[in-house]
Amino acid sequence: MKTIPILLAAAVTSLAAAPPPDDFATKLKPFLANNCLTCHSAALKTADIDLQRYSKTSDVTGDPATWDKVVEMLKTNQMPPKGAPHPPEADVKAAVAWVETAFERAEQAAPPNPGRVTARRLNRTEYNNTVRDLLGVTLRPADDFPEDDSGYGFDNIGDVLSLSPVLMEKYLSSAEKISRAAIFGPDEVKPAGERFQPPGRRGAPPKSATDYDETGLSLGSALHVNYHFPVDGEYVFRATCDGRRPGVGGADMAFWLDGKLLGVKHIEANDLEGQTREVRVPVTTGEHLVSATFYKVFERLPASFGGLNPVEPPAAPAGGRGGRGGRGGGGAALPPKPPANATPEELAQYQRQLARVQATAPQRAPGGGIQPPAGKVDFLFIWGPFDQPKGPSPDSVKKIFTCGSPDAALTPACRNKILTDLASRAYRRPATAREVGELAHLMDTAEARGNSFKDSLALSIQAILVSPNFLFRVERQPETPAPGNSRIGQYELASRLSYFIWASMPDTELMRCAAQQTLRNPAVLQAQVMRMLKDPKAHALVEDFGGQWLETRGLESAKPDARKFGEFDDYLRLLMRRETEMFLENIMREDRSIVDILNGKYTFVNERLAKFYGIPGVTGEEFRKVELTGTPRGGVWTQGSVLTVSSYATRTSPVLRGKWILENLLNEPPPPPPPNVPTLDDSKVGQSVSLRQQLEAHRKDAVCASCHSRMDPLGLGLENFDAVGAWRAQDGKIPIDASGTLPDGRTFTGPDGLREVLTARSDAFAECVVDKMLTYALGRGLERYDKRTVRDIARKAAANHYRFSSVVLEIVKSLPFEMRQAEQAKAQAKL
Amino acid sequence: MSFVTGKHIQRRTFLRGVGAAIALPWLDSMRPALAAPSAGAPPVRIAFAYIPNGVILSDWKPSAEGRAYEFTRILKPLEPHREVFSVLTGLDHRNANALGDGGGDHARAGACFLTGVHPKKTSGADIHVGISADQIAALEIGKQTRFPSLELGCDDSRVVGGCDSGYSCAYTNSISWRTPTTPMPPEINPRVVFERLFGSEDLNLDPATRARRAANRKSVLDLVQDDTVQLTGKLGVADRRKIDEYLTAVREIEKRIESAEKDNRQVHPGIEKPSGIPATFDEYLTLMFDLQLAAFRTDLTRISTIVLGREGSRRVYPEIGVPDPHHPLSHHRNLPDPIEKLTKINTYHVQILASYLQKLKTTQDGDGTLLDHTLFVYASAISNGNTHTHEDLPVVLAGRGNGSVTPGRHIVYPKGTPMTNLYMTMLDQAGVRPEFIGDSNGKLDGLSV
Repeated sequence: MKTIPILLAAAVTSLAAAPPPDDFATKLKPFLANNCLTCHSAALKTADIDLQRYSKTSDVTGDPATWDKVVEMLKTNQMPPKGAPHPPEADVKAAVAWVETAFERAEQAAPPNPGRVTARRLNRTEYNNTVRDLLGVTLRPADDFPEDDSGYGFDNIGDVLSLSPVLMEKYLSSAEKISRAAIFGPDEVKPAGERFQPPGRRGAPPKSATDYDETGLSLGSALHVNYHFPVDGEYVFRATCDGRRPGVGGADMAFWLDGKLLGVKHIEANDLEGQTREVRVPVTTGEHLVSATFYKVFERLPASFGGLNPVEPPAAPAGGRGGRGGRGGGGAALPPKPPANATPEELAQYQRQLARVQATAPQRAPGGGIQPPAGKVDFLFIWGPFDQPKGPSPDSVKKIFTCGSPDAALTPACRNKILTDLASRAYRRPATAREVGELAHLMDTAEARGNSFKDSLALSIQAILVSPNFLFRVERQPETPAPGNSRIGQYELASRLSYFIWASMPDTELMRCAAQQTLRNPAVLQAQVMRMLKDPKAHALVEDFGGQWLETRGLESAKPDARKFGEFDDYLRLLMRRETEMFLENIMREDRSIVDILNGKYTFVNERLAKFYGIPGVTGEEFRKVELTGTPRGGVWTQGSVLTVSSYATRTSPVLRGKWILENLLNEPPPPPPPNVPTLDDSKVGQSVSLRQQLEAHRKDAVCASCHSRMDPLGLGLENFDAVGAWRAQDGKIPIDASGTLPDGRTFTGPDGLREVLTARSDAFAECVVDKMLTYALGRGLERYDKRTVRDIARKAAANHYRFSSVVLEIVKSLPFEMRQAEQAKAQAKL
Repeated sequence: MSFVTGKHIQRRTFLRGVGAAIALPWLDSMRPALAAPSAGAPPVRIAFAYIPNGVILSDWKPSAEGRAYEFTRILKPLEPHREVFSVLTGLDHRNANALGDGGGDHARAGACFLTGVHPKKTSGADIHVGISADQIAALEIGKQTRFPSLELGCDDSRVVGGCDSGYSCAYTNSISWRTPTTPMPPEINPRVVFERLFGSEDLNLDPATRARRAANRKSVLDLVQDDTVQLTGKLGVADRRKIDEYLTAVREIEKRIESAEKDNRQVHPGIEKPSGIPATFDEYLTLMFDLQLAAFRTDLTRISTIVLGREGSRRVYPEIGVPDPHHPLSHHRNLPDPIEKLTKINTYHVQILASYLQKLKTTQDGDGTLLDHTLFVYASAISNGNTHTHEDLPVVLAGRGNGSVTPGRHIVYPKGTPMTNLYMTMLDQAGVRPEFIGDSNGKLDGLSV
């Protein structure tokens, strides 16, 4: 309760201090008169803008919509328009500075405004998580809901989330499914099978028989399937092969789930056609990547292949096979090609001799590298579920039956308790007697209708799950609404906390603090936030906030051109996503500074990803932390995920990458392009003309240059990273020139130079993170009056070296997170 | 290595049945009691298909008018069906122009296509456009079918970051709008569409159990409506609007449950249950068209929209030799290479449309074919993607609409004829007569001779 009087006092003090003299007439009016009023006068009102009607500073600051436009037009050189005399640059700068300072002063002097958040319905992620935490049901029905509309970069913005009749239909049917799964267990799904065949093969050939991907996940012989598993259970993965395996060592087939090894099965044969192996493993509901590969494909081959653990066939009879070549290179000479009129026997003989030669020596791949022996996975068969867990999970039983047991009849008192507990947890505040009574009445009526007791209980859960109290996070008006700001309730604060950090409902401990009215107590609040950040559920902050802020969610839809970027496959996509998630999660768990996101010289890779990046010395498919000192990488903007989503399918785009940096790292988004902008000629890029030269056109025109001189250099500094994030020294025929010149004249070269430029702006970066995270935490777009909150939070976090937990905690303690503006006041406030 | 995503499958070999309640073969005599507005006449079906990023007009627009027009490159695949569709040129969507709002033509085009309304420029709160033509129709004739309308789409790319130039993503994600503020997002997963249309386990149950379940659902909806009344008293204005949206949706579902109870026949889909989103665009769009056809044929709905790609779509089409993303290609700057690729994409789309028309033409529907009783618009709200022009739009009108249109011609309309006039005519044939739709100023002449 202490904060309000202090804030009011501060506001009063600043107003009481002598305000700066109103210098509109001397500082801005002449500029307008000389340069703008020809068109934007009261008489002409060109483009509906009358700049003559402002006579003092407060007139200006009272009309942010118009003056935002004016500033944008001046900054982008779009006004005065071509043809009109242009004032000296210094005058324009001075005018812009005057307007911006005027607004800043007004914002500071205005009373603090926490804004209002509109009722937010649960989005898909929140729905799945909440159902899991409320009832122990892991079905993830929201995966089938229509995509949530996003605003301000996030899909949890109250004003933007809508509820169409189709969505309501899905809420109703999924509520039925979930409630029955919670009471009776998930519906039995009949085992079904599907066979998958690759549409084409990809993968760059390995460099040598000792330097290759042992897992086989990235070789052309593997088969990957992204499969939607409808329900928890055991599934069979059965792979059928084709091709030949030289020598007598046989082959090893490995099965993987989401890049993790499930098992290795041996095939003791030369002729792999039709050879089938399988594994049967438990899998959880949802989408997973299933892979079947040839494991350690260069091992247990004849020595001539140059692989490890060679296995020699028994000594050949004299004069039989062709001579064995030396390691890694020679082999018997190829047999002479048969003449055109060869008999079938001669042809067969040729084939046999050829096969023998191939069996003793590795084949060079066109374009470099060696071909692994010719075995491949031809079909993958996924069949299941088997051994589906029957009945409700123990978790569901525990969460629902807070008294009594599912197998015995419940006393009326117990039934009441169960309904009260369920509704209270679901509605995220104590259920009213009326609400519980209605649910009990629903059950009675259902039983009278012929439903069993359990059916009726499931029905009441169904009702809870479609109630607006469950689907929406509503913050109620106080009982006696007063003008000014009011604090949100304890339970509402608990909800905000849990949906911010966990994208799910408050747990028992949070609800207890709210019930005891201690959640606002600074020590309690801090302890809760720290506890929540350590909970595994905090992964939501990395996945949902991180994935949207950095736009890496777009990775799943990226389709880089297969011819140009043959190395990029679903497996690499999975690895890139995992790298960024682990990087962010590590910062969160170890409570490191968020500035590491900008310039931390480390990351997380496994063998495949390390090879892709050119980082030596990493073997094995598990991820581990690697230092990046001595490499050009460091910072999330050098990771494959970001580099891919900020490129086109066929080439890089310095403009997209520059825009990405401005928007997501510095919070200085460029305004949208003017209409009728053509794109560049792709066919010439990399051939006759470098991308850099083509972009020069941006710098020629003053209007274009005003934005592009900010964007292009940043993106050009990243040109050594191709459209999927691999390092390159050339783009086609043209060597990369990764230097950039910033608008203020400073120059830099390459990612290292760019990192220095960005590091110098660490404070702006921190404010950017705060801005984005505050938007995500509040579920509304930020307004002018939030600017000082953002600065405040950043300043406080800076005092603690921008540690992750400090940023989160300061957001939680901030004005808009803890308070809400009264409704009447909203209509009046402009700032 | 090779990869196939089960989300994107290449071949579907089904070895066991998976789940749908398919029991009886569909008999022509099982026409639902609610079918026709007038006895005997089959109901009109109305469908819209949207293509993004415009076309190369010189490859689309025939030069001759009337019956004897020559087939341009993009329209060529439709030649075998020339007697069942017309090409309309000269229509426009003037409300998709900037009209002072600056950039954002893609968002405006998508939002304006079926509404004819200039959408409010906002990136978050207070989105506002209009009710779309398909929903105006659904509000009236939707009560007669189990599903008032069906929104489908083939754009399965994730929306990340901002959308077009300061416009909310809601404007690009949906072309169908229930109210000026409630978009109807399309369903993009064929499996989910199938389950929704044909997967009702209820039809397997005995009538007593079915009735009990329906009564249960009604009790649930009664309870939550009561919850809502309790809630609204304590809400601010913006919150109340959201809860009102919820309440509207609940009431809508109640009506659907009631009409579903009357229409309780079992329907035979005629297609296998899909397992997910196919690997190639060809298969994906064909599958969505098949689902739309199945829904029309079984009279589960009479109104449907299908979005081939969101405006600004960046889809790549490697299967036809176009690995470049669609939207940048549409800004071709009059260069031959992107122009060629763009036309390839549009021709590819039309090829798939041609197969669909073939199916519609050969599907029995009462005393004729489904195509006889359908009015199908295949169009875009952008004509020249390079300059973001919204006039002289590419439009194909297929079907005979129960005899209301005379297809087989290239009809050229005078400049300034609103596209929405076409919708007024289409809806009129279905017995729906709003005063206007968006910027319409009457019905479209010349469609029937």
